[in-house]
Amino acid sequence: MSMIKKLNLSDAAEVSRFAVLLAFVLLFVFFSLASPSFFSTANLFNVLVNNVVLLAIIAFGMTIVISAGGIDLSVGVSVDVASLAFIALLASGSGVGIAVCGGLTAALIVGVLNAVLITRLRISPFLATLGVLFIGQSVQQIATGGGQPIYLVTGEFAKLFNAIVRTQFIGLPTSVWILVLCAIAVYLLLHRSVFGRYVRAFGAQPGVAWYSGIRVPFNMSMVYIACALLCGIAGILLSSTVRSYVPLSGNAFLLDAVGATFIGTTISTERRPSVIGTLLGVMLLAVVKNGLLLIGWNFYWQQVGIGALVFLVLALSFGLRGRAH
Amino acid sequence: MTQQSNLAINMHGISKSFGPIKALVDANLQVERGSIHGLVGQNGAGKSTIIKALAGMLKPDAGSIEINGKTVTRLTPANIERLGVHFIHQDRLLVPTATIGEAIFLRNEPGFGIFVNHRKMARRARELLKQYFDLDLPAGTLIQDLTTAQQKIVQITRALAQNASVLVLDEPTAALVKREVVSLFNVLRRLKQDGIAVIFISHYMQEIEDICDTVTVMRNGTDVGVVSPKTTSIDEIVRMMINRDVGEMFPKRTVAVGETVLNVSNLSREGHFDDISFDIKAGEVVGITGLLGSGVKELIHCLFGLAKPDSGAFTIDGTATNFSSPVSAVSRNVALVPEDRRAHGVALSLSVRENISIASLDRYSRNGFVTPGPEKSAVDGFIRELSIKTPHRDALVRTLSGGNQQKVALAKWLSCQSKLYVLDEPTVAVDVGAKIEIYTLLNRLAAEGAAILFMSSDLLELVGICDRVLVVYRGELTHEFQAGDVDSDRLLAAASGARSQTGRAAA
Repeated sequence: MSMIKKLNLSDAAEVSRFAVLLAFVLLFVFFSLASPSFFSTANLFNVLVNNVVLLAIIAFGMTIVISAGGIDLSVGVSVDVASLAFIALLASGSGVGIAVCGGLTAALIVGVLNAVLITRLRISPFLATLGVLFIGQSVQQIATGGGQPIYLVTGEFAKLFNAIVRTQFIGLPTSVWILVLCAIAVYLLLHRSVFGRYVRAFGAQPGVAWYSGIRVPFNMSMVYIACALLCGIAGILLSSTVRSYVPLSGNAFLLDAVGATFIGTTISTERRPSVIGTLLGVMLLAVVKNGLLLIGWNFYWQQVGIGALVFLVLALSFGLRGRAH
Repeated sequence: MTQQSNLAINMHGISKSFGPIKALVDANLQVERGSIHGLVGQNGAGKSTIIKALAGMLKPDAGSIEINGKTVTRLTPANIERLGVHFIHQDRLLVPTATIGEAIFLRNEPGFGIFVNHRKMARRARELLKQYFDLDLPAGTLIQDLTTAQQKIVQITRALAQNASVLVLDEPTAALVKREVVSLFNVLRRLKQDGIAVIFISHYMQEIEDICDTVTVMRNGTDVGVVSPKTTSIDEIVRMMINRDVGEMFPKRTVAVGETVLNVSNLSREGHFDDISFDIKAGEVVGITGLLGSGVKELIHCLFGLAKPDSGAFTIDGTATNFSSPVSAVSRNVALVPEDRRAHGVALSLSVRENISIASLDRYSRNGFVTPGPEKSAVDGFIRELSIKTPHRDALVRTLSGGNQQKVALAKWLSCQSKLYVLDEPTVAVDVGAKIEIYTLLNRLAAEGAAILFMSSDLLELVGICDRVLVVYRGELTHEFQAGDVDSDRLLAAASGARSQTGRAAA
């Protein structure tokens, strides 16, 4: 990566980019020493499958949106409707392929709705996606009779879920490979494609994009649709892991996804969102949550720990950078 | 302190290096109380560095700074205003959602303790604006609803409200119309009589001559002379700045004119312009000018798909065209270098490379993916060709000077191999050296067969570089002058509507 090629330790601004990596390594070592069960294959495997995969895929979507200068508060809705459609189709006897397509289509509808509100009606991304969030939550509660989960207990689906969660390929479960594929796809899209350049141009200065003859409405629509589809993939993985659809469960990812993306921007000198940065941010959050749990902090104190950590990373990163100027 | 010097600002022997680059070398700046002191130099000459040192935004490596006779060692952006030195920055804008009162009394709100007396604030703000600028705005007007000129006036009023003893104005007139400039100059002269020292930074030499008592000329990071515009001519000052003769400013050329590229016939837009017809051939540089509100701006916008004409038509290369957006304009090889460079021309937080290639990525991509090799070599080519002063192709455009940013905005369209270049005030806030480079570039583009429509309010430059100049007055194309048949006085008369002029009326 160019990140490593350009490293110059005499330059504090350059060092500041490694605050997240540094924090990650230090915390990893700390938890390994503080809790004997942290540094075990079983636990790290658990962190990866349960804390990293889903959040990372959603955060990749958020990374695209934030790169374009927007925000998507409705990621939870995309996750939920994909999960609902997937499980409901399976429960009604459809095949897996159809259920997956149904789940992705449901997420796609959310993405298209966001895109129309933002590019056609010119509503600001914050308000447009907030509206979709409210509507999406109510729709789920109405559709499930006030928020009843849908469980799939039939044995015939156990094989499917096992395929996603348990089957391993080169030592890693399928869901991790799906994460890897998503990471590569988003990396290519954001950092290598023409579309990615346009996305960055909107994020930097929308007026310049428009005055350069870029088809802003079309490309902006694609941003929100791509985000929703990634959330849809996460929703299908989520319901496969828990073997059910639990209404409103997607919301828990929203703030973590935004947080991971912004933590990730500290690895770039220009403070740009990136796939690698976001992945680091997600892993940092996951390790802290898991580590604090293992050393015996209760759930409520975990939030305090995560908050403190975000401050620490940002202070470290900005502090070093500030001194460089 | 018995013997007080009359210097409000005394910066002596200031040096500052950024790595290997020496931005300032033993530079001096002395400004007397009750005087207006010009600071001129090309971008990169060290003007903004010495001003940043005064503002406490960067710490000089060597040298001393005295403010009102007192040596100051710890200057910070926070305490500089308390020392009585106020800065009106070119690009430091006000909070868009603040009211006029909130902007003027920022950090100095009238009221009691933490409570702000909003009514008093609004009333005082209105009084001050009326008193200084004869500007009557409704109390509670938001900054975002003001014109750029009015925002500038609010900034200056804020400094005055806080009893500034030194006022530093960085390109204060760049966004102002003539009437506002006159009113600003009157205010500055009155401030001068009140004993306030004014540092006036401008690329407009005419203004320097009109308003300044003394001028410090900077070149290559040091002051090469302190002169009085009363005794030293503008040409002489410019020669000191660029170290060459002004005669070379407008490069001469002879170009064979080719086929018609743009043909505008009977184009009208209700309330803006009416029945405008003209054409531009390949190889021609055609100037167009008009006062604020003459409709010339809207005409240019129509040619780039930013606005729609109500009637009439235009053709590009003989094909009738109806642009619904800049997307279709760009696809027909029309380029626009917009007036507001920061909002529409270049993205400051993107790199030189990303800015140059953004409109022509189809040339540097395969199957939707950017091919870095061709892109990099093309961008390096433009950096060399236009001598864009940048550390490397991945430097952020924010770090470049105004002139170099404008060259990036031009390179973006060179990369598209555009046929028609529409330039909207391309040399505003661009230093003399870069202006010459832009003129040379336009000549070369014309020689290579491009058609150029050059909109400018700088009449000298229109006369200097254009083959023909069109004048729009109150929405109508009233005059068309041939090069060599016009001077700036006649252009000004035509643009202001003096019909007695002998310029050939346009068909």
